[in-house]
Amino acid sequence: MKASDNLKAGILAITLVLLFLTGWELYWRGRGFENSYNDDESLWASTRNKIYTTSPAQPVIIGSSRVKFDIDQHVWQKASGLQPVQLALVGTSPRPVLRDLGNDPDFKGTVLIGITESLFFAKDHSPMEGEANKRIEYYPKWSLSQKISFYINQILESGLIFLDTNRFSLNSLLKRLPIESRPGVFVFPNFPLEMNLTLPNRQEVFTNTSLSDTSVRDGIRYVWNYLGMTNPNIKGVSGDTLTQIFADVKQSVGKIKARGGNVFFLRMPSTGPVWVAEQACYPRKLYWDRLLQETKTDGIHFTDYASLSKYTCPDWSHLTPGDARIFTNDLIKVLEEKTGWTIKNPSVSSHL
Amino acid sequence: MVFNSYTFVVFFILLLVLHNLPLSWKTKKINLLVASYLFYALWNPPFILLLWLSTVVDYYMARLIAVSENKSKRKLWLTISLLLNLGMLSYFKYGGFLLENFTALLNTMGITYQAARPDIILPVGISFYTFVTLSYTIDIYRRKFAPEPSFLNFALFVTYFPHLVAGPIVRPEDLIPQFKQPRKATTNQVTWGLFLLSLGLFMKVAIADGWLAETADFIFGLPFPVNPLDAWMAVLAFSGQIFCDFAGYSTCAIGVSLCLGFTLPENFRYPYASIGFSDFWRRWHITLSTWLRDYLYIPLGGNRKSNIRTYLNLMITMLLGGLWHGASWNFVIWGGLHGIFLCIERLLRNLTTRHKTPVHESEVILRATILPVASRNLTNFLLALLTFLLINITWVFFRAKDFGSAMLMLLCMAGIIDQGPKMLSTPDMLKVGIVTVGLITTHWLMRDRDLRQVFSRLPWWLWGIIWAIMLILVALTQKSTSSFIYFQF
Repeated sequence: MKASDNLKAGILAITLVLLFLTGWELYWRGRGFENSYNDDESLWASTRNKIYTTSPAQPVIIGSSRVKFDIDQHVWQKASGLQPVQLALVGTSPRPVLRDLGNDPDFKGTVLIGITESLFFAKDHSPMEGEANKRIEYYPKWSLSQKISFYINQILESGLIFLDTNRFSLNSLLKRLPIESRPGVFVFPNFPLEMNLTLPNRQEVFTNTSLSDTSVRDGIRYVWNYLGMTNPNIKGVSGDTLTQIFADVKQSVGKIKARGGNVFFLRMPSTGPVWVAEQACYPRKLYWDRLLQETKTDGIHFTDYASLSKYTCPDWSHLTPGDARIFTNDLIKVLEEKTGWTIKNPSVSSHL
Repeated sequence: MVFNSYTFVVFFILLLVLHNLPLSWKTKKINLLVASYLFYALWNPPFILLLWLSTVVDYYMARLIAVSENKSKRKLWLTISLLLNLGMLSYFKYGGFLLENFTALLNTMGITYQAARPDIILPVGISFYTFVTLSYTIDIYRRKFAPEPSFLNFALFVTYFPHLVAGPIVRPEDLIPQFKQPRKATTNQVTWGLFLLSLGLFMKVAIADGWLAETADFIFGLPFPVNPLDAWMAVLAFSGQIFCDFAGYSTCAIGVSLCLGFTLPENFRYPYASIGFSDFWRRWHITLSTWLRDYLYIPLGGNRKSNIRTYLNLMITMLLGGLWHGASWNFVIWGGLHGIFLCIERLLRNLTTRHKTPVHESEVILRATILPVASRNLTNFLLALLTFLLINITWVFFRAKDFGSAMLMLLCMAGIIDQGPKMLSTPDMLKVGIVTVGLITTHWLMRDRDLRQVFSRLPWWLWGIIWAIMLILVALTQKSTSSFIYFQF
């Protein structure tokens, strides 16, 4: 083949790639999608880097999706002048992350732990710990090269919608093909593409479409039903397994407190059939109350405060962005009253 | 740094620009050397010291070997080089493994001993660059060629970034002569190099990571037995994954190097169309198998001694070849299985050669069959499928985290444990099926062909479309930063 033919093939390839990707991007934009960031190991690692300067005004937040949706970091930052360090992971038990913080001798800050009972009280080594363990292993190996790639990726992700792996990667789209699976195989259901966005600070927010389009809301509720989150007959762990979980949490909490750090539990709102099932599967007395008692740690349960329990979660599990803003302000007030911490910074808050 | 990262894209563009500036050849080589150190240091900077140590010691040891006439002194200098290189490799790669086995041995003898778990990080690519530098000093010792007078050329030979962390394992004669004269990549080389880079990325990102890794990781990560079909799917997924991952890396390395004007040796030649295990090792990780042949199997006596000795040499070579891949008994078993298959194949070949009918007679019989032409092809194809099947069985030990898990997987595959749950969804199984059939077909069709020749016969627009499809699939898969499996070796 002549050199000119090689060159022509290369130029044709680049042209076709650029044309396809432009069309692909315009297609998703045309369907009303907005930018969302990949909540991957690198984004978590870059956030994990910030834990060493934390205080009650700038806590580390661990947990699962509820604290990611419900605590509005922008509102928190406006009140305290400092942005919280959001380390919660969607659909994941925070216990491995708590253990990681407990084992880090340099961490002496404040941790807020979001409790979603079905995740927090999952057995050791369960799939609910998978994503957390992956990130904890990744963090110390996060190389210079990966850091540079991450920062370049952030720039690209801020401008290109199709780079959202969770929604628009080939694998994610293939999983949405209507191919019936083998009988007896558990296939994790797909959340609607329009459900939520991840911001660069790892804040999760519902999209406007998911709030206005009932089919999207129903799609999310379908997933909760499918996963058994609305089933009041699935009993939580008990006996020695539960005792071991409490002992494990107590040990990690003890380590952080021994270094001068603070730990605080949060039970975020849930409503509708999810809340009904959670009360039946994880009675407060056996789980939440015992958690606080065993770990000798304080916490806020949303049902104890009128200001925190006045909401209706559109999907039964998370607050809308508007509600999250009000909720966060109220949460800060309750936290200050209950702990005596100074979170609000008058010099910043006065400009609100 | 990995080829499938944005950091590499920036690095490579800057390097290409720098390499094509009107600078002296020496300056260009210095640029390449600095870039290679940067490529390595962006992973874990302190380990660059090991690379320097290996480079400096081997450069001087080779010179001392070359100038010494005294046999014992030559041996001494070679021993220092071997001790340093193999010592570093043993400490970093096998330190924990040796201690663990030593502890187990003492405990078996009734001596209670518990060693502290050593916290040793494995420097990326140490197995590869150790073999690269070893081949140099051994060849100088054998007086195969004179030592390279230029330290810059030698350092660049050891450190040249495309091959540094995961091969191909280059020999001095592959690369050093190319550094001696100024070279500039032609348009053909640059475009073909970029095409190979795209092909390698497609294999790694779209196929290995995008379509196969999840299935293999999921099933091999389960602590309980699975349905036989799921077990087979996981092994086939890993089979495709390890090939596309490793051959993808080599293809990227060869492509990147070609863009800079340097040719690296071929490392894979459609191994899943191998007819037998000796054919497999002529097609899989070629630079490792030839290294083991030249520096281990032949020095052990190769096939020049008795039959028994030949089998023993084969087994030793394959067992050590297995151990080279990692500090685990599973790798040793993997190598051992390959050794056993090679021995059986050799035994069968010896037996059939002894009873071989004259060529013309077999031709007559062949022509008398119903499908005279197809039958030989069909036989070969069936033999290739049998080889592929056996290779898959060996991959179980390569992938499973320990011996127990490997045996569990094999029992599931054999249907001895058949009550395990079904775990894989239909789309996941379809992906594995499509890739497996695609790989076997491609390898079979390309078995005796050269990729470049095949593409040179295509019209440019068809080549362009194929190229574009691969790049689009890479962009859509978006797994941009996962590292290559062979980095851990």
